[in-house]
Amino acid sequence: MGDSQPRRIEERLARELGLALVLLALALVQVTLLTGLAGFSVPILLVLAIARALVGAGTAEPVRGLMRGLWWAFYGGLALDVLGTMPLGSHAIAHLLAVAIVGLAARRFAVERPLVPLLAVAVGTVIYEGTLALIALPAIEDWRMYGLVVVAPSVLLALIPTLPAVAIVHRLVRADG
Amino acid sequence: MRDFLDDRPLKLRRDRSGDRHYWRVAALAVGLALISLLLIILDRQGIVAPARLAVREAVQPLAGWLTERRAMIESWWATPRDVAALQSRIAELEAENARLNSEVLRLEQARVENIFLRQQLAITRTYPWRILGAEVMVRAPDAARRVLTIARGVEDGVQVGMAVIGQQPGGPPALIGVVESVGPRTADVLMITDISSQLSVRVLQADGAPLGLMQGQWQRGSRLRLELIDRNVTMREGERVVTAGLSGALDLPLDLAAMPAAVPIGAIETVQQEGQRQIGAIRPFVDPDQVRYVWVILSQDE
Repeated sequence: MGDSQPRRIEERLARELGLALVLLALALVQVTLLTGLAGFSVPILLVLAIARALVGAGTAEPVRGLMRGLWWAFYGGLALDVLGTMPLGSHAIAHLLAVAIVGLAARRFAVERPLVPLLAVAVGTVIYEGTLALIALPAIEDWRMYGLVVVAPSVLLALIPTLPAVAIVHRLVRADG
Repeated sequence: MRDFLDDRPLKLRRDRSGDRHYWRVAALAVGLALISLLLIILDRQGIVAPARLAVREAVQPLAGWLTERRAMIESWWATPRDVAALQSRIAELEAENARLNSEVLRLEQARVENIFLRQQLAITRTYPWRILGAEVMVRAPDAARRVLTIARGVEDGVQVGMAVIGQQPGGPPALIGVVESVGPRTADVLMITDISSQLSVRVLQADGAPLGLMQGQWQRGSRLRLELIDRNVTMREGERVVTAGLSGALDLPLDLAAMPAAVPIGAIETVQQEGQRQIGAIRPFVDPDQVRYVWVILSQDE
């Protein structure tokens, strides 16, 4: 009995470390293979984190599911920060805000309906890009132009992998359960 | 991957009696956001930069490898993959190549024409001639006669007996031949070096311009031969020779009446004594065999 608690903590730490490494690998994919389209990259980590939160919110333990989504957002954001040029924590905080707001707002909707994840990812991407702009360009004045030039293309790119990402995460969660 | 999804199995069926404490979600979000903010502050102070740099260095080889793969994928994607597409691409490139070649040729022609027009302008500023530019179309294929055909004819005002001049870089415009026959749009020019070409000329000397007779010598292995009418006059090497224009001056009903006076021909290169006669060899200012573009002297201002 005495060994069960330490093993439990070790297992959890190993799992978290493994998750962080997987997300770091995906971040590498995002910044290498999924970039180049007119300077934009497909924000696959944000999409996965939102998908994880939405799928988690649809389970019997929605709070825990949403919290897993937040951890995914945090690890994914840190991975992007390590590989990127913005201050460490920038992408993490942008991911967290997007996933938290979208996850809590969309928790009552069934993720199986395609419009729900698409809308959630679109809104999440706007929050994500807006947060990054506030961190990187706090003195920005022309938000309309920024929205057209930066946010709109990012939203469109994020929508491409949304449904496959939700389907994959959903399948994994079900297999795990 | 599935091991990282959660630490406990999830129940996918919604259970309304489940955990509803969403404040925990907000609390976790705020907590993690605060950690992120702290990291931003620390990074801006340079405290976490070494660790970040170390991680980046560690993943750099893998990142480089992935970037290369992306470049390969892009290259593969941009390459036509089937035979029909390749043939279509080749046809496109060939058509473009032909168009560009044609354009280059047109520009080259324009450049050459520009050079000749500039030469023509310079000639008309210096000499009192009205001239007409003409391209040399063909040269006689046989050595028996030194004739070239130009792309101007009666329709352009060219007549038999008119002087044809050329110019080489650095030299003056000089006589290269006389129009021998004319068609509607072409004319044959007998070169002054042909053995059948004979012209009255003047040698420009300090105290006069004695008359002489110039004859082509190409078929005899030389170029131009000059013999003075007045045997008492001595000619010297280096003296310049120009057309006399006697037929025109005397208003004789001859074809050569169209030949103006004082058209440069060449300079005396050597002088030989043959009995009582002096024979000079003239080096023409313009080699008629080298010209590609000539001018016909249509008339001379009085």
